[in-house]
Amino acid sequence: MAEHSSTPAVDLRGIRKSYGHLEVLHGVSLSARDGEVVSILGSSGSGKSTLLRCVNMLEVPDAGTVSVRGETIEVVRKAGHPSRPADMAQVNRVRAKAAMVFQSFNLWSHLTVLENLIEAPVHVQKRSRRECTAEAEALLERVGIAEKRHHYPAHLSGGQQQRAAIARALAMRPSIMLFDEPTSALDPELVGEVLKVIRNLADEGRTMLIVTHEMAFAREVSNRVVFLHRGVIEEEGVPQDLFANPRSDRLRQFLSREGSRASNSG
Amino acid sequence: MLDLPFLAQTLSTLAGGIPLTLQLTALSVAGGAVLAFGLALMRTSGSVLLDFPARFYIFAFRGTPLLVQIYIIYYGLSQFPALRQSFLWPFLREAYWCAALALALNTAAYSAEIIRGGLNSVGAGQIEAARAFGMSRVLAFRRIILPQAIRQMLPAYSNEIILMLKSTALASTITLMEVTGLAAKLISQSYRPVEVFVCAGVIYLALNFVVARIFAALQRAFSPETREAPAALPGTRIKADCHG
Amino acid sequence: MQYYQLMGFGPDGWGRDMLAATGMTVAVGVAGFIAGILLGLCGAAAKLSRFASLRMAAEIYTTVFRGVPDLLVIYLFYFGSSSAISAVASLFGAEGFVGAPAFLTGAVAIGVVSGAYQTQVFVGAVQALSKGEIEAARACGMPSFLLFRRIVLPQAIRFAIPGVGNVWQLVLKESALISVIGLVELMRQAQIGAGSTRQPFSFYLTAAALYLLITFVSGLGFRALEQRAMRGVRRAA
Repeated sequence: MAEHSSTPAVDLRGIRKSYGHLEVLHGVSLSARDGEVVSILGSSGSGKSTLLRCVNMLEVPDAGTVSVRGETIEVVRKAGHPSRPADMAQVNRVRAKAAMVFQSFNLWSHLTVLENLIEAPVHVQKRSRRECTAEAEALLERVGIAEKRHHYPAHLSGGQQQRAAIARALAMRPSIMLFDEPTSALDPELVGEVLKVIRNLADEGRTMLIVTHEMAFAREVSNRVVFLHRGVIEEEGVPQDLFANPRSDRLRQFLSREGSRASNSG
Repeated sequence: MLDLPFLAQTLSTLAGGIPLTLQLTALSVAGGAVLAFGLALMRTSGSVLLDFPARFYIFAFRGTPLLVQIYIIYYGLSQFPALRQSFLWPFLREAYWCAALALALNTAAYSAEIIRGGLNSVGAGQIEAARAFGMSRVLAFRRIILPQAIRQMLPAYSNEIILMLKSTALASTITLMEVTGLAAKLISQSYRPVEVFVCAGVIYLALNFVVARIFAALQRAFSPETREAPAALPGTRIKADCHG
Repeated sequence: MQYYQLMGFGPDGWGRDMLAATGMTVAVGVAGFIAGILLGLCGAAAKLSRFASLRMAAEIYTTVFRGVPDLLVIYLFYFGSSSAISAVASLFGAEGFVGAPAFLTGAVAIGVVSGAYQTQVFVGAVQALSKGEIEAARACGMPSFLLFRRIVLPQAIRFAIPGVGNVWQLVLKESALISVIGLVELMRQAQIGAGSTRQPFSFYLTAAALYLLITFVSGLGFRALEQRAMRGVRRAA
């Protein structure tokens, strides 16, 4: 049950991240309240995926703090060494609460769809197999691929795999969901079925952070939109404002570019 | 022209060496696999202290002839009185155990690289998903990396086993009468090297064939995802058909 | 006797003999290696030819000589040629067993076995060529022979180098087996020394170290060759 408190569900403060000499995030702060859907937009190289991956510590920020549900993740930073989390047990706890959906689905190829869904709930959350299986079946039904439960990922289309991946994330009963460009790797005709599922989740009042290129979708589904450019937040606000009246030039350029691209692929 | 009785006789004599050939192969592969697994973990550990000795071991055993390794163990170790008095001596005195040991140490070096290749071949996305869902490194290794690595390793490993089968022939140089040892004896007795060679060759090729088929079956068993999709009857677990 | 005295170049030292034997190892190895390359080229040509009978013959060659232990092949050639020579010699009144020359026999055995592996290497190298490049050349009207010489060969050589390097390492190890037919290469020399001084470990360890040295230097050489050959080729990321 989501707590409706003043503590943000996700709170990123002053996040900096470099790869070697290249600084990708220059002190970005972002927070999301319970039940909020925040879309993160930006061109390639803007650092949006990196920012998202800092939430569950798949990337460890070089400076700044990451707090999930009020719990700040401890990071060890030593000069000359890459930053790393202080306590992996804490990180794994957070990861079980903030489920992620990847651009390339990343379903485990040696397991069937059903096995993919129950793998983490059974082995990480230590729940009973029977309970997880029942829940998984219901989730598969919900995302519309129940008949594929005993198939292997290799036998599914891209859209089906991503829907399975979303179901897999849901099987963890997460309080927060992280989407890293969920439709970017899909053929255009398969994008719709996945967006439908995500929209459904947003309507439920889930807390979601979505990195995406799908402008129309972001506009429709988000409570708040953040535009990232070269590792800095250029603009932030309610979708209606941002899309209708972009204040910065770069956002304007970005919107027109993405807009024409969208209308071309129709 | 073809002396069939002689060929038949030769085949049956040589067949007497098959059990020893197979035993040596099995012992060395089993022992070698355990050591190889440890070496592969040392190589992929990321720590220089573990990586370097493993690399040196692999370099030394892959860079010297198996014959030298066998001779060092069988002839060389007897140079040390300390060893002669140890509890290991009853084993190390026997050609059988010396050969098995040398073969195992040798295959471990090659197998370690095969295992390492298998571990490295697991897609980064698979591992990332495992981490993102809260799996500890050990859990992710056990449930995600290892099963996938094993599938990837099977072809190369089957090759390695066939190579070990051939390598057991060197045991004949330290008095062991496996197939090649018997063949050498027969040749020097009968002066008919071509026929004996053909018979021995047939035996080795047959053994290779059997190993290859076993591994092909193993590969099919381990990769259900490459077989055809099951007919979709909800709730039923169907064993998919294997094609060839 | 101390190790350094044993292996030194003094009056009781075996150092000179061991080094000479190392030279013999390299010599028989190189001889066999060259023979193997020639056989490999023929084998590859046969495997890629239009004629099914040639392809089948090549297939049998590679299957047999990669599937059968090297030692057995050495016995085959040694006893085979010895039998033949003894038969001929008996015509001239000589009696008993006349051994075939160990160097020649060994080199031939190595050649035949490594040739089987080289065949696979060369076939793989030619097949690795992108069909597109060949098509482009044909589209320009390039005749077959020129196509082979200017387009296929240079690239195939480049692709073949790693495999050829591997086969050389195999050849080195196989050369040790020639000791069983009496050739005094490194292995045999170590045996002689071990028998004479009753210090097998010292001798075999030294032999191992010398093999390792040759392996290491050869490895460097082949890697350098590979790097030179791969200039200007963009590897897939």
